[in-house]
Amino acid sequence: MNYVEWLRVRNALRVTAICLGISIVVALVVRISIAAQFGSTHDIVNRLGAEKDTVTTHSVVDGFNRTTLTNAREHTVVVIEDQADGSKIIQITEPGNSAHSNSVSMGPVRVSTSESGGVEKTTIETNRPVPFGIYAAIAAVIALIIATVLGAPFAKENDGHLEIAFLKPVSRTNNALGVVLADCVGILVAEVMTVLAFAIMQAFFEVPHFDFSGINSTAILLAIALPFSWYTFLNASTASLKRGAGAVVGLAWPAAFVSIALAGLNLGTSIAGQTFHTIFWSISRIFPLTYVQFEGHDNDLSSLGPKLMTTAAILTGLFLVYGALAVVQWRRVEA
Amino acid sequence: MSTISIKNLRKTYGPYVAVDDLTFEIPDACVFGLLGPNGAGKTTTFKCMLGLARATSGSVLYDGAPLVPETLERIAYVPERSVLYEWMTVGEHIEMQRRAYRKFSVARARELLAQFGIDLRKKARALSKGMRTATMVALAIARESDILILDEPTSGLDPINQRHVLNLIINESARGATVIFSSHQIGQVERAAERIAVIDRGRLALEGNVDDLKADRKIVEGILPSETFALNGLAGDPHILRLDRNGRIVRAVTSSDAGEVLAKFEALGASGLRIVDLNLEDIFLYAVSPADATADVVEGH
Repeated sequence: MNYVEWLRVRNALRVTAICLGISIVVALVVRISIAAQFGSTHDIVNRLGAEKDTVTTHSVVDGFNRTTLTNAREHTVVVIEDQADGSKIIQITEPGNSAHSNSVSMGPVRVSTSESGGVEKTTIETNRPVPFGIYAAIAAVIALIIATVLGAPFAKENDGHLEIAFLKPVSRTNNALGVVLADCVGILVAEVMTVLAFAIMQAFFEVPHFDFSGINSTAILLAIALPFSWYTFLNASTASLKRGAGAVVGLAWPAAFVSIALAGLNLGTSIAGQTFHTIFWSISRIFPLTYVQFEGHDNDLSSLGPKLMTTAAILTGLFLVYGALAVVQWRRVEA
Repeated sequence: MSTISIKNLRKTYGPYVAVDDLTFEIPDACVFGLLGPNGAGKTTTFKCMLGLARATSGSVLYDGAPLVPETLERIAYVPERSVLYEWMTVGEHIEMQRRAYRKFSVARARELLAQFGIDLRKKARALSKGMRTATMVALAIARESDILILDEPTSGLDPINQRHVLNLIINESARGATVIFSSHQIGQVERAAERIAVIDRGRLALEGNVDDLKADRKIVEGILPSETFALNGLAGDPHILRLDRNGRIVRAVTSSDAGEVLAKFEALGASGLRIVDLNLEDIFLYAVSPADATADVVEGH
């Protein structure tokens, strides 16, 4: 019944697939070009072992290969353990002179250093589970773009096609819900495609595995609710328009960013400043993007969980409200 | 299969009255022509009939029942302008119709489009105006619907395809469908329609069976002895629907007994007397703009 909308979705997904395909090819090219420089334990040994006075020993501990490079002159020991899942743990022990302890994670790699008693120990763990929140965030960005592309379905029908859309033997409400369903499925499929594409790209470098624990599962909800609410927001903004819907959709992004920026401005405690702040703050609440701001949580992800859940709930509410507004407008449109 | 009753239909857009107190009935399996000058309210009437526009007041009933979504399964509509999706191929439009309507015949659609010489792989944007119209007509007829509403279905078509569309309309009627169509080509309406309604400035100006309307009306015309010659009592004659005078030329549109009116003209001393049959174009022009119509009649005959 909503064949036209499915075709629009198909076209949008086709472009998405092409873009993701190009990204995969680029990743493959990068992988091939750096294959000679990084990768196997053998490469690492060749590099580190080139140092003078380095002694390399191989052993098997608990069934895993362990390579130890010892440089007595530099008082440095490097231990490389190959793990069953293809990852490595590289431990570097060397002289140090400042007591500290640090840990940095970036995707599947975690580097931690600590210094104690004049010895600095650095541990590099590769191919750790990737927090799925990262994937969800990337997928959400792509989905927001698709939501923007699909964002004015009723206005597109209103622009010269109502005689087709409204003369189907189905109620306008059902017709509208079918359109929204098609677009939401399209947005969701775009997210899945993005996750798969990035997993493939990661697989060029290591076996991908994900961490769904903690805020990562909530991030999935957020990654779905955000583009969905953005889509219905755009739909509700354009549902009654015959023409000019493209301009509204195009201006929605800058309008959202400007209003969010203005709402965040400190305009002082004067009445004028307070009034402007209240106005900008209120306007910014209209845009679903406003609710996805998590400043001040960089080092404390665990505290982000409840906020993410609240945000997901708000965005789900906006999705429903804006969706209802779009459908109500659609029911009232006349050819 | 279906009788359509339009009762006191009124549609306003702000202060503008597009359709005003329109009442007529379209019988089952009839070819019905809706005529009117540009802006008369024909398309608005169609839109109100189809629920595309909400009537301000009045009603449209299909077999005594108001329009519901299920009724639309039985109605096919060809609008005046193209509503095809520019980015879709003709083949995709066929698929769209197939998914939307149970009775849609893909084979019939392909056959009709082939007759019009339309390539199914072409996108709508690549079609000419006439080909778009033909595509919409073909898609509508392939619906095999009970009611076919066509707003200017021959617009942009060459004479051969105009004739083809007209034949399709007649065939649809022969199949038992009720066909309602509007056209500026009154000759086409005269050829195909059994009944007509003429709308002028949103109001019903004339309605009836085409043959009856033509049989009922004649024009009697003659030349008076002088421009100031008095037409004593003629204006009040019950047989004369309208009397026009242009210098020495006088014309009377009569409702029935044209011979009696002719005799009265003769008695007044008028010369060059004759009785002229009205065709549908005359009737239409008389209904929407009587003074101009009579002028045209004089020039035309």
